[in-house]
Amino acid sequence: MAELTYNEKRLMVVLNTIKEATPEIIAGELNTTAAAVVQFAHLCAEKGIATLDRTITVSYTLTTEGEQYATLGLPERQVYASFQNEISMKDMQAHPLARIAIGWMKKKGWVTIEKGLVKKTGDAPEGADEVALRDPDANREGVPELVKRGLAEETETTAYTIAITAAGQELVKGGLDLREEVGTLTREQILSGDWKNLNLRRYSVDKLPKRIIPGKIHPYQRLIDEMRSVLLEMGFVEMYGDVVQSSFWNFDALFQPQDHPAREMQDTFFLDGTTPLPEGWERVRDIHEHGGTTSSVGWGGIWDPAKAQTNVLRTHTTGLSIQYLKDHPDESVKAFCIGRVYRREAIDPTHTPEFEQLEGIVMDKDVSFRHLMGFLKEFYGRMGFENVRFRPAYFPYTEPSVEPEVYVDGLGWVELGGAGIFREEVTDPWGVKYPVLAWGLGVSRVAMLKMGLRDLRQLYRSDVDWIRDTPMMQGGRD
Amino acid sequence: MPIIKLPYEYLETLTGTDRDTIINRVPMIGADIERIEEDHIDVEFFPDRPDLFSTEGVARAMQGFLGLREGINDYPVTPSGISFRVDPGLATIRPFLGSAVIRNVSLTEEAIESLMGLQEALHWAVGRGRGKVAIGVHDLDTVTPPFYYQAAPRDRAFVPLDFTEEMTMEEILDRHPKGVDYAHLVRDCERFPLITDAEDNVLSFPPIINGERTKVTTATKNILLDCTGTEIKAVMIAVNNICTALADAGATIESVDVDGTPMPSLAPSVRTVSVDECCRLLGISLSAEEMAAHLRVMRFGAVADGEKQVQVTVPCYRADIMHDWDIFEDVAISYGFENFDAALPESFTTGKPHPVMVLMDGVREIMAGLGFLEMMPFTLTNERVLYTAMQREPNPGVLRLQRPISEEQTVMRTDILPMLVETLQINHHRELPQRLFAIGDCVEGRETFQKVAAVSIHTEADFSEIYACADALMREMHIRCEIEESADPAFIPGRRADIMVDGKKTGVFGELNPDVIRAFELDAPVCAMEIDLRCVQERPCL
Repeated sequence: MAELTYNEKRLMVVLNTIKEATPEIIAGELNTTAAAVVQFAHLCAEKGIATLDRTITVSYTLTTEGEQYATLGLPERQVYASFQNEISMKDMQAHPLARIAIGWMKKKGWVTIEKGLVKKTGDAPEGADEVALRDPDANREGVPELVKRGLAEETETTAYTIAITAAGQELVKGGLDLREEVGTLTREQILSGDWKNLNLRRYSVDKLPKRIIPGKIHPYQRLIDEMRSVLLEMGFVEMYGDVVQSSFWNFDALFQPQDHPAREMQDTFFLDGTTPLPEGWERVRDIHEHGGTTSSVGWGGIWDPAKAQTNVLRTHTTGLSIQYLKDHPDESVKAFCIGRVYRREAIDPTHTPEFEQLEGIVMDKDVSFRHLMGFLKEFYGRMGFENVRFRPAYFPYTEPSVEPEVYVDGLGWVELGGAGIFREEVTDPWGVKYPVLAWGLGVSRVAMLKMGLRDLRQLYRSDVDWIRDTPMMQGGRD
Repeated sequence: MPIIKLPYEYLETLTGTDRDTIINRVPMIGADIERIEEDHIDVEFFPDRPDLFSTEGVARAMQGFLGLREGINDYPVTPSGISFRVDPGLATIRPFLGSAVIRNVSLTEEAIESLMGLQEALHWAVGRGRGKVAIGVHDLDTVTPPFYYQAAPRDRAFVPLDFTEEMTMEEILDRHPKGVDYAHLVRDCERFPLITDAEDNVLSFPPIINGERTKVTTATKNILLDCTGTEIKAVMIAVNNICTALADAGATIESVDVDGTPMPSLAPSVRTVSVDECCRLLGISLSAEEMAAHLRVMRFGAVADGEKQVQVTVPCYRADIMHDWDIFEDVAISYGFENFDAALPESFTTGKPHPVMVLMDGVREIMAGLGFLEMMPFTLTNERVLYTAMQREPNPGVLRLQRPISEEQTVMRTDILPMLVETLQINHHRELPQRLFAIGDCVEGRETFQKVAAVSIHTEADFSEIYACADALMREMHIRCEIEESADPAFIPGRRADIMVDGKKTGVFGELNPDVIRAFELDAPVCAMEIDLRCVQERPCL
């Protein structure tokens, strides 16, 4: 049996003496309220050491209107008494209670009404309702009628009887610790060791605690951080860069032809202002016009330096990758970046004009297409996508290109990102020594797959309750 | 990307195999299947492969891929004796013309639809919406050679396609549906491009509309093709792709003499590529013979040239082959992506997070420790939220988008706090207290930098609460600062403070002005802070 609280013990001691009593009596003994006693008794009853019997008594009292009629008589009695054997309807209506009385007199058969004349039928004996009106508790027969007429009210009274059981008597016989309960430990009690002699109040484990929410990093940021740690663990250096980029780095350096549709106003956020071209821009021009010193034929036509200077909000982070390679053309490079990119798209559940993109590059002696596939399998595997397959693809700045697909239960094969080896047209102008494996993916797409998100807007215009309710730890990477 | 409709029967006839085999294997040459219908399949191909924009082209590629027919097709061209003259006056308007005569076509309704589909896809992918290249096909037997491509007066009239009455070219731009769609391509020219025959009949007003006279129907036996444009290379890609598609369907191709040059030639180009370079790039091992065999599967002509080289004959329709690596990709596709031995390279590298990320990670940890929930609002916003609602003067460095997509998102944020107060507005119906923070990029001029902001909304939110948080954040960031009274109108006078680092204002905190609270339709006290992280002089070392 669960331990008794201090109050339960006190109740049991009293009960053991008087065996059975009402809460009011016990409350007097315990110097508390009857309601508190009922509560203690209820807990003792659950433990089988006491019984708590509840009796509900119904009693009736007259309403204010009822009290009035108890003295003066019901309206029909008052009107009946106001005339002799008969009265004209018109005269009777002069009586203030006539409107209530006439229906009741007819219903009770005290009068008949013919051609505007009200005639008594006999003596009009006192009915059960009139008897009840004198003392509704003693004369119950007529009470329902009075309640219906709003002249009497029903009141329920609950009475309790508390008694001790045999088990309870046994318990008290065994002796109870009646030291007073203590809620909070004091410094002195801890230091002196007195706490050992205290009766510390026990808490019920059934009662739920107050719900508190810890400060939290956003679930989407946690997913981004998970990807960052995967890549850091795989030996990648993190890149970070400006949101505003010149068209040169965002497009031209990636061998995007100057008349490519992605460079039109409807797809990219163009900005006022220009950025001077970097040293070595002429090599990019040559690549575009005729392939420079590579085996490429280039796009042909005339490459316009002015167009390359126009500023844009970066449409991808690949512009950062090529700038990083320009600064590290000789050493082996493994670098990545997760950053926000911008596309001129209207907001709807699956599109936002800004979103996060992940991008990784590997430049090393002897790396090849099969190593790109190796990196993709490793990365997706660590992200929890065990099954990866590859399909041919086209991206303007990679050749060969590949589209990885991952298997997701319930969805089948899902396209997730793009990859390839940077075209020589991209790397040659900067003297990049070895082939560059590159891949990228939309982070929000992973969020949709891994967090079961239906609406991307939830990431950027979050419902605070979603953050509150999303557990910090999700299983995530196994 | 263009959606290509492939009717099964036509495809089966051209390829020589059944539809199920095709449906199964077509994704492996780079097609995305959009829809599988009763009588046809809709697929999407990459924009660099216009040769796959027709049923004929897909059949040609599938034949190779399925081992039914390998190597390069031969496209003989004989002279038609027909000539074309180009007006030098077009030099500044639309200078280039490509042409061909295609004889003995058998055009069913379906074949016409296929031809129109190819034409539209080429307009999109190669022609950049007809600006760079526009294509016209004409019933050759309705006109009389020689032909003249000229810069004509804007009031020259003819009956445009699908109309019965004559219209001037200017009227066409205003009234004909195609004229309205493409008027922007020629509107500013003094004279308009026009193609006429020996008897001055109009064939076409490129790049807008053909004449009704030369309309191609199921009765058409011989076609005259015109491709006009601003770049000769793109023009010839269109010519080559239409001619080879129709030739594969059984037509014969004849050349047209354009100012002394016969075209098209449809001759392949030749590239000699290195076996070793290919194997190193792909990470596989192939002999010259094996590599050549893979390329023949991809419908190139290819022969081993000794042990180390392969001589590749590239069909004229392969517009995507610009570089040797483009050829290596086709080797990889034929080899099969599923047959690659995916592996990680052996070299050792160490990872290293970026200092800016390390800084932001640290601040996130502090803010979460102080009990705030992180939000990640958009960086695009508008000046009403950034300044008007906050009762602040606009930042002169605010970066405006040239063509915003909505009134809500017209500028890059210079501050994060307004976005966070807006987030409180979105969560107005949620239980209080709400304590939120956000960290990330802001932009001033061309510079990207980082800020952190925090808000707390509840009935007892006050200056002391946010002062304690700002104090804790600065302490934990290990930045010595001074606190001064602020004049920031977003906050209540006497309940606001500036954070000064080395005598420079670097942050602000206090109780939001009730007018600001109301501007965001909130109704409880809000205390808030924002700190510019450029104050972290030495970013954490690694």
